[in-house]
Amino acid sequence: MEPTRSSGDGSGNSGTYTPEIAESLRFEEEIQSLMRENTVHPSLEPSPAGGGSSFTALLGLPANQAVELLHDSESGDSPAAAAAAAASSGGGDMWRFGLRDPKALTLPSGCSPTFPSNAALVERAARFSIFAAAEESPDVASVPSHSGDHSTKPKAEPPDTECQPICPIPVERQQRPAKRKEAERGNKVKGPAKKSRAAEEGSAKVAEESTGGDKLPYVHVRARRGQATDSHSLAERARREKINARMKLLQELVPGCSKISGTALVLDEIINHVQSLQRQVELLSMRLAAVNPRIDFSGLDNFLSAECGRGMVGNGRGGVGMEQSAWMDAAVVNGGRRQQQQQQQQIWHLDLVHPHQTPSVWEREDASHLFINPNPGTSLFGYDPASSGLFRVLNRVETGKWYVKPGTL
Amino acid sequence: MPRLLSLYLAFPITTMQASNTFKQAFLKRMLLGLQLAGVSSKCMTIQERKSAIKLSADVAMACARGSTNWSRAIVTDLSKQEKNKVLLRSILGKDFERLIKPCHHTWKIPRSKKILKRSFRECSRRRKGLRAPHGLATSVLARVLVKKRTQVLKRLIPGGEYLDGSYLLDETLDYAISLRAQVDLMQRLSKAFEASKLGSHNVCTLQARGDSYADK
Repeated sequence: MEPTRSSGDGSGNSGTYTPEIAESLRFEEEIQSLMRENTVHPSLEPSPAGGGSSFTALLGLPANQAVELLHDSESGDSPAAAAAAAASSGGGDMWRFGLRDPKALTLPSGCSPTFPSNAALVERAARFSIFAAAEESPDVASVPSHSGDHSTKPKAEPPDTECQPICPIPVERQQRPAKRKEAERGNKVKGPAKKSRAAEEGSAKVAEESTGGDKLPYVHVRARRGQATDSHSLAERARREKINARMKLLQELVPGCSKISGTALVLDEIINHVQSLQRQVELLSMRLAAVNPRIDFSGLDNFLSAECGRGMVGNGRGGVGMEQSAWMDAAVVNGGRRQQQQQQQQIWHLDLVHPHQTPSVWEREDASHLFINPNPGTSLFGYDPASSGLFRVLNRVETGKWYVKPGTL
Repeated sequence: MPRLLSLYLAFPITTMQASNTFKQAFLKRMLLGLQLAGVSSKCMTIQERKSAIKLSADVAMACARGSTNWSRAIVTDLSKQEKNKVLLRSILGKDFERLIKPCHHTWKIPRSKKILKRSFRECSRRRKGLRAPHGLATSVLARVLVKKRTQVLKRLIPGGEYLDGSYLLDETLDYAISLRAQVDLMQRLSKAFEASKLGSHNVCTLQARGDSYADK
């Protein structure tokens, strides 16, 4: 799709066309210089050419976006077009084009290996729009702090004439920065699509906006057309929307639940899911109980701290594999030998497993180890890499790729 | 509400998965718990061992998650038995006190909510006049069903009987994600232990499963 490049594009949002032309040129230069440097400047200053309105703040936004898109997509053919398209149209359109263009442009070019997901851009856009708009009027600032209940809104909703960023809604699901979260809790405002339709709303809106602002303990809800505006029903509606939002999240959690409609059935599925998980825990603990007497935990622990001290010793193909198998063996093998060598930091209530020696592996391990003595009084494994080591090891078991060098045993 | 903030920031909502830090903390605690419970000694019955393992798994999950309603409820319920209390204290250390301490909003919120609900019901009844339930009206039926399900859910989630509405669903989500991670980790642990047990019998039969030992 060919974005309109005329600078006088009638989005009707900003009345300042001439600065836009100048800005578009400036943007192009900047973008090209950035392309040469191949760095991203997320903090690109929005050029304040349009005066103090929020549009100029938003003008900066698509430029940032375009820059990042261009950088990430690394496609050489789109920079000028995207930049011009982003810069030349009006505020809301710019945003829209900035968001949709890369998709149109990079698809034909077929490259962009590092093209970030739409979500990341949208999130950045939201962040910038919030930060930019927050300096302007408080009215604009209150709008981006959407509640999470807008998940019902379709994501492809076109921006309205006020260029209110719709992006907070898809962003809601993907990132909740703490700052915005707090603003949400205090100030929930319905989206622009629902605003200003009925007479009743006038009163409700006035009531809400007089107390607008961040971080109030009240929930602000704009009344919809034809609905009662007394505080009880408003509060109840807010509560219901909250519950619906949570139900949607739960539907995503439970597999196969998203096509079910109806609260009771969804709750059924959730209950079944939780029950099955709990049953699985019981079964697994039974399994572990059956297997357990052979495991020597002290040996495990010592081995882990040692393993992480050693790191990945490249030992041919078997280096890491040997470590893996040795971990397995060490878990069962006599840890007592190791225990005598290391000081006891924790309370071992354990009896030692009967020694089952594999001397060859053991000696090799000993030779290449750095023993790291964990500090007394700290965590079980002394430091975090140990737990990550165990974690990594367990991951490998998971994937079934552990390996023993043939000659070692 | 700081509790809810911690809820959302702990798990990335898009992927619906527990974070790696959670899993690592869980593993650490669980292994510590398994040691301290003395599961390796031969003098336990299978049942005792199983309950000890389950206890250490639950405690590890609760500790790794931090301060949420269900995690606190798990620790509190487990420590109601005296024999567990000592073990819990040694596993958790100072986290035990932190998790046991009754948090202000866990018991005040439901009480105040009940008061609010009652007053709301009175107000609306006074305003609209008593509206008799419509018998087989679908809305009423749906409400009854949902009420039944929420009661079941409250029994499932630890500490859920004091929660309501969106809080209950929040807790369910968080609890389900943690449970899933717990199941996953316990599966891996059991696989690892079983494999090593196998290996102790016959080390030479360990075969290479793949050529590349790519690190995750």
